[in-house]
Amino acid sequence: MANSKNKFDIVAHKKLYLIIPAAILAATILVILLFGAKVSIEFTGGTILQYSYTGEEINVNEVSASVSDLGFNSAVITTGSAFGSDLQLLNFSFSASDGMGNDEQAQVTAMLQQKYPDKAITLENNQNVSATTGMSFFLKCLVAFVFAFLVFIIYIAYRFKKIGGWSTGIFALIALLIDIIVVVAVFVFFRLPIDSIFMAVILTIMGYSINNTIIVFDRVRENKSLQNRQLSARELINKSVRQSLTRSINTTVTTAAALLALSIVAVIFGVATILNFAFPLTIGLVSGIFTSLCVSGTFWATWQERKIRKG
Amino acid sequence: MKSVKKPVFFLVLAFILGLTYLTLFGVYTYYGDREDVWVRGVKDIRWGIDIRGGVDVIFTTPDDHVFANNDERRAGMDAARSIIEVRMVTQNITDYEIYVDYATERIIVRFPWRAGDVSFDPEQAVRELGEMAWLTFREGFPWDAESHLDLPLVIEGRDVKRAAPNYNRDDGTYEVLLELEPSGTEAFAEATGRLAGTGVAISIWMDEMPISWPTVSSQITGGNAVITGNDFTADAVISLANRINGGALPFQLEIDSFSRISPTLGESARDAMVIAGIVAFAVIAIIMIYLYRLLGVVATIGLLGQAMGALAVITGFFPGNASFTLTIPGIAGIILSIAMGVDANVITSERIKEELYTGKTLDGALQAGYKRAFAVIFDCNITLIIIAFILMGAFGTPDSFAAVALKPIFFLFGPSAAGAIYSFGFTLFVGAILNFIFGVTASRLMTYSISKFKSLRNVNFYAKGVKNRG
Repeated sequence: MANSKNKFDIVAHKKLYLIIPAAILAATILVILLFGAKVSIEFTGGTILQYSYTGEEINVNEVSASVSDLGFNSAVITTGSAFGSDLQLLNFSFSASDGMGNDEQAQVTAMLQQKYPDKAITLENNQNVSATTGMSFFLKCLVAFVFAFLVFIIYIAYRFKKIGGWSTGIFALIALLIDIIVVVAVFVFFRLPIDSIFMAVILTIMGYSINNTIIVFDRVRENKSLQNRQLSARELINKSVRQSLTRSINTTVTTAAALLALSIVAVIFGVATILNFAFPLTIGLVSGIFTSLCVSGTFWATWQERKIRKG
Repeated sequence: MKSVKKPVFFLVLAFILGLTYLTLFGVYTYYGDREDVWVRGVKDIRWGIDIRGGVDVIFTTPDDHVFANNDERRAGMDAARSIIEVRMVTQNITDYEIYVDYATERIIVRFPWRAGDVSFDPEQAVRELGEMAWLTFREGFPWDAESHLDLPLVIEGRDVKRAAPNYNRDDGTYEVLLELEPSGTEAFAEATGRLAGTGVAISIWMDEMPISWPTVSSQITGGNAVITGNDFTADAVISLANRINGGALPFQLEIDSFSRISPTLGESARDAMVIAGIVAFAVIAIIMIYLYRLLGVVATIGLLGQAMGALAVITGFFPGNASFTLTIPGIAGIILSIAMGVDANVITSERIKEELYTGKTLDGALQAGYKRAFAVIFDCNITLIIIAFILMGAFGTPDSFAAVALKPIFFLFGPSAAGAIYSFGFTLFVGAILNFIFGVTASRLMTYSISKFKSLRNVNFYAKGVKNRG
């Protein structure tokens, strides 16, 4: 259409770039509505139970399976020991989604006593705790992110004022939001716990996504100011995306390979929790390539063309 | 940059290797049993609860403490929780759990053992959280501590805005300067006005412990007060000021029970993470050298610097800094930092390749490559620094620079801290700065320097399939 010599036309599929993220977002919302997300106790509040027992250490995986059989899916179990006596301890955290009342607590106690009759299992402590991160924490997060996004848009708009200013900032932000949606989707689809690891992954992907988008726009800025004044917005984007392609792939492949190596070694040694972190992060990296190469540039080119058409 | 000489490469290499050694092994000297830390090494890292285990402590209000109503109880418990949270983050304990049970007035706190703790004594560990005491200023001084509650209350912890340790040059004593909240200023002015010159003391208490009982010489109206003590040392005033700043609790908290938490992943997890880190770094090095040849070698050395810099942030490096707790969010920060370094090197190397393909000489290509790459690396890093600064301001301790600077944005929210986000923001912030040092400057210096060696001037060492020779 725009450039017959050039078969590489990233802008041609612009509908797809809207449909894919929209579909992921819709599916995520649907899954949350139908099955909920596995939100950890720090965000929802819930019940903390502490049992003491004597004798040999109880296998946590066994207990965990029995607790799930009772229908409590959110339980996080840790072990410990009392100080000043040789009692062993089992700590349970149930997030509020399990709705622990007195009856439910009694169920857990009965199950444990039945399962380990000779261990003198006793309920030491039971606390109904509220969310650690209450409403004001979420409001603060919201203000922090909105403020960060605003400053981000202003900075990008200033640095890229030659190629449209505000529109670059806003499209970079859209790319960033899509990456965040993708990461949230991975956590929701794979039932990974929404906890501090979740926040770390979101923040890491944010940093990554920003880098990716800036790099494409930097090429556009350069191509426009160099010899290519007469190129259309669409040609500019295609050229810039092509130039950034190797960099994006090399950086992402290197990082992803390192993450993979990290995961493999960790899993061999039995630290499987690293997957809760490495897997969504890798998907986020891939999404970062997609949004920076396809989404932000395409929207920018479409926007520029529309502006020209309107005069 | 043209004047970069051959030895520069070796200087930069030596610097990075030196940093690597110091970060990993630290510098310690021993005098008999006493160990002096000059540079903190990896062994000073405080590991998260899942890796090393920690303490589970339940605090509760004293039996005789009664809240007026439910709202007051909620507000009081929340205030106490956020104070404990701020104290943790102040000491870079960023892996913790705090839960409040309003109905039974209990606060459950879980946090990891400090680095090098071998006693695993929870009672000892809880002291790190500071005084769970109620700071009060009272009129007069009783002869027995039991009856101090009968003394009229002048001001209490919540009336104190901030405290600072100070050395009084005039009489060579250590003291703590207090800045009072408006709520305290008036009451303090009234009391000091009334007591000035009478010889009646204003006694200062942490629960039942008298800390200081100065007499009042003149009325104090400006909202500033001084705590002096007969046996105050430099350490004592610093710790007292920190405890007051960490937030004087609105009421006393007692320990209801404490226990140890076993590590869920076990100590072997720590070794696994170390090996995994080394393998991951080796993978990055192989890919970078395969893709960019000589530039890949330079990149790997620079990345070592970047990785060690990020690790030094976690250990604290200098003895005055407390180690951040190393958990998965911390590892995320390190990975992002290294990824930023990889990216800077990939961008630059790709640029240099492009310039070589257009037929530039080696020197010309190197110069153009670094120059063009810098603009975009600059934009990326500045953006990340801005975001990191906002995260630090929003979720760090209320006295930190970022928090004070961003006060106009977050003024609606009381002092609160979130360790995981704060430590991530901090790592990101330092990562971006390290990227300028290692990803840009060090790599440029090393590349220019090795390009001065005749035997290394073959352009095929920099990009494959280039015809001309530099």
